[in-house]
Amino acid sequence: MSERAPRSAEPLLLKALALAFTIFIIGYILVPILVTVVMSFNGAAMIRFPITAWSTRWYADFLGSPQWMDALKNSILIAFGTAAISTTAGVLCAWAFQRFHIPFRDGWYILIMMPLFMPGVVLGLGVAIAFGGISFGGYALYGSRELVMISHSLWAMPLVFMLMEATFKTLDYRVVEASHDLGGGPLRTFFEVVLPMVSTGIVSSLLFAFVISLNEFVMALFLTDRDTQTLPVLMWLSLRSAGTPRLAVASVILALTVFACLTIIMLWYVRQLRKVAR
Amino acid sequence: MTAAARSDDAAFAAQRAAQERRKALAPWLLMLPALIIVLLFFGLPTLYMVRMSFNLHFDQRLYVPGFTFEHYINLFSNPLFTGAILTTVKLALVASLATVAIGYCFALLVWLKPARWRLLFIGLALAPLLISEIAIIFGWWMFFPKNGLLSYALLSAGLIHDKVSLMYTEFAAFVGLVYVTLPYCFFILLSIFDGIDKRLLEASADLGAPPVRTFREVMLPLTWTGILVAFSQSFIWTMGTYATPSALGPDTLWTMGFLIQEQMLGKHNWPMASALAVVLVAGVAAVMILTRSMQSERNSFHV
Repeated sequence: MSERAPRSAEPLLLKALALAFTIFIIGYILVPILVTVVMSFNGAAMIRFPITAWSTRWYADFLGSPQWMDALKNSILIAFGTAAISTTAGVLCAWAFQRFHIPFRDGWYILIMMPLFMPGVVLGLGVAIAFGGISFGGYALYGSRELVMISHSLWAMPLVFMLMEATFKTLDYRVVEASHDLGGGPLRTFFEVVLPMVSTGIVSSLLFAFVISLNEFVMALFLTDRDTQTLPVLMWLSLRSAGTPRLAVASVILALTVFACLTIIMLWYVRQLRKVAR
Repeated sequence: MTAAARSDDAAFAAQRAAQERRKALAPWLLMLPALIIVLLFFGLPTLYMVRMSFNLHFDQRLYVPGFTFEHYINLFSNPLFTGAILTTVKLALVASLATVAIGYCFALLVWLKPARWRLLFIGLALAPLLISEIAIIFGWWMFFPKNGLLSYALLSAGLIHDKVSLMYTEFAAFVGLVYVTLPYCFFILLSIFDGIDKRLLEASADLGAPPVRTFREVMLPLTWTGILVAFSQSFIWTMGTYATPSALGPDTLWTMGFLIQEQMLGKHNWPMASALAVVLVAGVAAVMILTRSMQSERNSFHV
């Protein structure tokens, strides 16, 4: 009994430590987010605490500014392009890895995954110097949205590939064989049997790619010009000159775009679950 | 055997052969889009970048074709660049250690808490992942300065009497960097914890081990691989991240990533920027190989 007494103090200490850490981590993660949300409703022109006047004037300012709206449009277009490119390439490649014998399989695997471990600044630099002066029939590749889409795919595609490889492994291949036995060709089987079965994985891939592209700004900084610059790039350039509450609005709108996508995905999952239940 | 049957056989064989050929070709066709992206937009630029780092640079031109080691020599002798290399490694090391420590505690906490808290904490950890790095930078950018929230909060609480600014200090850069890398660390470590049987803790306690000893002799060995992976992941990430330290840190905090951008977009010195990038990638690769070898050593030791 006397031996147990000092030990009961330890869990209490641990509990206190755990509580302190919980408060710390919640505060740490939420601070920049809350600061941004609060500041976006600031009525003054300066970033200064305490906030004395509240208004939505910076939202109106953002929505009314062609420069910022164009940047948002560029961001969304590039994110859609990245999602389409990286999901198509990643899904097909993962299917090839799952269903076929590929010579030097590990080598290809490493090559496809490698860009994911490269710093964005290096990828951006490489693509910029390699494609800086190239144009197709008067259409300059450098500064175009397409080049940014492909560069963002260097990060997004390996992720899609990884995700889909894992998804394809869980597939029930008796269904695929059944489709073949019933006379379905490989193409038809892939599109009508396999793809619907992995639709959740594909939707997740699209989302990953979209979010990565929407938020990325180092590669975009190297590869865009005034007409194609994305919202994060414009934010970065404005931050260097002067910070106004407009930047907080831009942050909020960027985050809202991401959360809108997440909501769509959630609705999709719920619908899929209902379908299975039925 | 009739002639008709024989020609049927031949047709069948031809069909078979065509099918075989298609089957051999199919994986390459499927991999084609991915390979185009990786080879044309990653492999080729990387080779081009390596070649570029040996080009000459004079007359304010972007580059002049040639062959010189000048940029590499400059890189390892000019105090500007050696300082940047040192700063990058130091910052990455400190930030990664802190990230792993905080991420480890966070993951441990989520693992030990009842399941109903789990989703909430995972949502919390996801937040920095879903927010753009630029928005994170800007969030801290409003927190640290003289007129920022931190100064205001401390002042209102009566803890200080004058406004304070932590903006443009190494501490601010460090806080921002840890914030950006923390979620990666957390999820890597949580997945490791999830593979551990919680009853091990009870068993260790029942055998009379105090929590500290249980941690050191049970938890640490079991999660060692995860710690290594999380550390190398955040080290690689912080080495390459330049926006956060350059926006939140002091003007003298020059990391390699910052200098790459400076040389490329500001000074228009492509060979120097490329040489810096090559050294940065070499550093990243070295860290990856090192942790990989430490991992396998550890594994073979256990087996």
